[in-house]
Amino acid sequence: MSLSEHTTCSSLPADPVAADALIGIPRQQTNPSRWQGEQWAEFVRSLREQGIEIREARADTGIYVTDAGGLAYGMPHGVVLARSTEQIAALMKAAQMFAVPVTVRGGGLTTEGESVAFGGILLDMTGMSRVLHVDREALIVRTQAGIFWHLLAEVLRRDGLDYISAPLNLSSSVGGTLGVGGIDVNSSKYGCSADQAISLQVVTPTGEIVECSDDENSELFERIILGYGQFGIITEASLHIRPYTPLRMHYFYYAALKPCVEDLLMLDASQACDYTGILTMMDSAITLLVAFDSDEREAEFMAQVKPKLRGYGELMFALHLAVSFSWRPWKWKEALFLLRRKRELFPDLQPAQHMQDGRMLDRTVVFSRAVWKHWGDRHMVIPDLATSRDKFVQAVERGNAVCRKYFPYYTLYCVGIRLRDDHRAHYELSSIPADAEGWAYGCEFEPMYNGVEYSRDRLQSFKNEIYDVGVELETSYYRFGGMMKGYIRRALGDAVVEKHLQLKRQADPAMILNRDVIF
Amino acid sequence: MRSVDVVIVGASLAAAAAAKRLVDAGLETVIVEKQQLPRHKICSGILSPRGHRFLLENFGPLPRKVLHDPTACRGVTFHFPSMVSMSMDFFGGTTPHLHRKYADHWAIEQSGAEVMDDTSFLAQTQFEDHVVVTARKRGGEAFELKARYLIGADGPVSPVLRSLYPDYHKQIPMFFVGQKFHEIIDCPLDEEYFHFWFHPDLGHYTWSHARDGRQIVGVGYKIGDKFHDRHLHVAKYFEEKHGVRLKPADDDHEGCAENFGPSLINRYVFGKGRVLITGQATGFLNMIGEGMSCALHSGAIAGESVVDAMLRNRPVQEVYRQNIASEVRRTTDQWNPLQIAFARPHEADFPKALAALPMGDRIKVLRDIWSFLKLYKEFKWGRQIAAISMQRLLRGDYSQKNWM
Ligand SMILES: Cc1cc2nc3c(=O)[nH]c(=O)nc-3n(C[C@H](O)[C@H](O)[C@H](O)COP(=O)(O)OP(=O)(O)OC[C@H]3O[C@@H](n4cnc5c(N)ncnc54)[C@H](O)[C@@H]3O)c2cc1C
Ligand SMILES: Cc1cc2nc3c(=O)[nH]c(=O)nc-3n(C[C@H](O)[C@H](O)[C@H](O)COP(=O)(O)OP(=O)(O)OC[C@H]3O[C@@H](n4cnc5c(N)ncnc54)[C@H](O)[C@@H]3O)c2cc1C
Repeated sequence: MSLSEHTTCSSLPADPVAADALIGIPRQQTNPSRWQGEQWAEFVRSLREQGIEIREARADTGIYVTDAGGLAYGMPHGVVLARSTEQIAALMKAAQMFAVPVTVRGGGLTTEGESVAFGGILLDMTGMSRVLHVDREALIVRTQAGIFWHLLAEVLRRDGLDYISAPLNLSSSVGGTLGVGGIDVNSSKYGCSADQAISLQVVTPTGEIVECSDDENSELFERIILGYGQFGIITEASLHIRPYTPLRMHYFYYAALKPCVEDLLMLDASQACDYTGILTMMDSAITLLVAFDSDEREAEFMAQVKPKLRGYGELMFALHLAVSFSWRPWKWKEALFLLRRKRELFPDLQPAQHMQDGRMLDRTVVFSRAVWKHWGDRHMVIPDLATSRDKFVQAVERGNAVCRKYFPYYTLYCVGIRLRDDHRAHYELSSIPADAEGWAYGCEFEPMYNGVEYSRDRLQSFKNEIYDVGVELETSYYRFGGMMKGYIRRALGDAVVEKHLQLKRQADPAMILNRDVIF
Repeated sequence: MRSVDVVIVGASLAAAAAAKRLVDAGLETVIVEKQQLPRHKICSGILSPRGHRFLLENFGPLPRKVLHDPTACRGVTFHFPSMVSMSMDFFGGTTPHLHRKYADHWAIEQSGAEVMDDTSFLAQTQFEDHVVVTARKRGGEAFELKARYLIGADGPVSPVLRSLYPDYHKQIPMFFVGQKFHEIIDCPLDEEYFHFWFHPDLGHYTWSHARDGRQIVGVGYKIGDKFHDRHLHVAKYFEEKHGVRLKPADDDHEGCAENFGPSLINRYVFGKGRVLITGQATGFLNMIGEGMSCALHSGAIAGESVVDAMLRNRPVQEVYRQNIASEVRRTTDQWNPLQIAFARPHEADFPKALAALPMGDRIKVLRDIWSFLKLYKEFKWGRQIAAISMQRLLRGDYSQKNWM
């Protein structure tokens, strides 16, 4: 995209510094100014008259001061705990009238401050977290949208059922995830979590309650799915579900990124596995995870595909590492790190409780607990890149080089996302790179802090540098870690963003719902 | 006595960044500024690309009025006594030429903090869970503010720092930098670049660049010399050696004291107890005197540290010192010869520009730099720089031992 194009079709003001300032990376304000509270008192009075509770004490608002990313800070003027669709509709009507910003929050697992309120109302959706109906025949669940996935899994498990795919963590909500994407280790087979939505109950920014799906109010449905809460608040969702199966897990170990990533691409194309993903401990100690829903699938894989993989088994890999470390004494610190990691992490996954005969009984909690305890800190910094198959190896290697520059230890997490041709319209404002066919690939780059504290500023620079790789490779962002407002125009192009901005202005005249997330 | 969460002294860029973090987190923040806003600040105004990003991301699009003309700077040109010149472009493209008077005021306004201008900080007293700050509005009575934390973002001669360590400024070398503005008759120096001279006869810090149709001639030296003599000497050199023909200087010349040095030898001052020092007051100054980006970043870190300390109920100094380590590493790296040679700590590539010169010129440049550095011999920094360079090499980081 040339610079003149940028200035002609974007509603962003041109930077008066120079056309070539900050080459290639037009910047936007990503830490928005705090809303100053105009008409707040009248707004609160109006809501209280309707019996809607607003919490204004600092002890209540302070809980929401940041998100999982811990880089953006913002205080709401008041908090509303979601109770019912009608309550939310009334809230939105008043908010439109008094032009008070409303920020919706599910689990608050965003990492770029999208679920942080820079003033105005913070609507906490976790108050609406009941499962409403399970249809065992049609394999559909109807649930309130503030529910966390692992709670949903618990309820479904009673009937021998399971959700199809969800983020690997303990507190992302259904509503928050449908707006973001949701990637699991089976996304290369089923697509993202948002692909599992059949129909949604939505409160629009002007306070109407609307049911939408591919057949009913389909335009709204297209905007809500993967729409980052711009076009409405999801209050209920009907989702595809499936029979519960334990997982047959296998791990393969690699000493270099490239062969491992290539094997992942090969596996997904072969469609021989039900779950695939890469998790690195270091860029010389990489795990390729594969798993199966049935013994037949597992056996088929072992016979036909496994011989083609270049990874080692655990024992062989340990030997390989031992040999390679033995003549590199300057790398012994890394060896110790790996040993420590193995000693601390694996018991913590509590295999005795969820593994039986080599099968994993509960993937929801296993992966999730590990994510929080061993990767997270109060700053979950997980910038990512999403590319087509062709660019993926390059993206992983370049992102890895950035990680190495910033942190001694970090993890890469790579998965494929099966694209659904019939859902192209859903993806319009999403992370799916335009040149991706069949699958998109995401790699997430996550520092491990190891007790060291980093400033927000430093972590932000790290993220920027990863995102800059995306700009250079002309690709997109998997948005695992957030919307990255400063990059969204680069990834999607001005035309798409401007189109959605127009739609947003129509749907939300006061521009109050989840502002500053994209536009 | 009015009670607030945080008082910041100085309505500078460091203050704006700190205030932004504090106000965002819902803390009541008051900025006390000695001068009336918008206030004048002597500065070349060349913001690094990193600082430019920071402004855009935190305060939004830059209005035109916060820029001088030319609005952008492409890079830096070094000139040497052997008459070799080398230009280096900033990595990120061109970068803003800030008009500090309006840029600082704009950033302060965008931060959303309350400002008391024309009001000087006088003193502070610390108690267990708060600080009492004494200030005076020009022509008025002294008054007191009670705050949970105090942030000194009050520049190189920081009165807040002095209130903690009365002798500090006597212990470090202070320099004078001054600039005069000339109408241009003919100036062959490329106006897209900031020009800097590595010339021991011209002084410790000699620079020139274009601004709003005039040419700036700037000189820096150890406090004690005469500004006008120094300036005349440099202007004459520019004319003789570079063919820079300028009219006599206009009347609006200016100068100030600078605390140049602490970031070279990793001796920063971060404060005591509930009082934090940030921006140039701590000693943050990048090589070639670029101090705005580290003022912004250290200011933001001071602000976020206060937020962290409050929310997690931890001692603020501990949080601040942990958070600031990366900024220290970055700034001190810029003076570390090993880093300069091998790790590109700057936002322009000196080793590459050097390598692009013919071999003969390369040798001249290195020799000229060496004789320029001898000018700084009296401060006895050499051994300290060598020591911290080794420290960085072996431990991967700088020690916090000498911080105050
Ligand atoms: C430790 C960790 C692990 C993660 N692992 C994964 C992973 O494995 N896979 C993956 O895909 N992602 C992962 N993520 C990212 C995260 O799971 C997603 O951002 C998540 O789905 C968001 O869900 P949430 O309920 O926390 O949403 P929030 O963060 O609360 O909100 C996300 C966005 O949606 C809006 N929103 C929230 N609820 C609603 C609603 N009901 N209606 C309309 N808009 C709403 C918010 O305003 C916000 O803009 C991880 C994040 C962390 C911190
Ligand atoms: C000639 C010159 C050229 C420079 N060129 C560049 C350049 O090109 N690029 C660059 O990045 N940097 C440059 N610098 C450095 C840069 O100006 C400083 O590093 C930067 O301004 C430091 O910002 P600060 O926020 O720490 O404080 P300052 O900008 O120094 O602001 C301190 C504030 O505190 C106020 N104050 C002081 N005492 C009191 C008191 N008692 N009560 C209340 N308020 C008080 C002052 O009035 C002032 O507003 C230059 C400096 C000089 C002198």
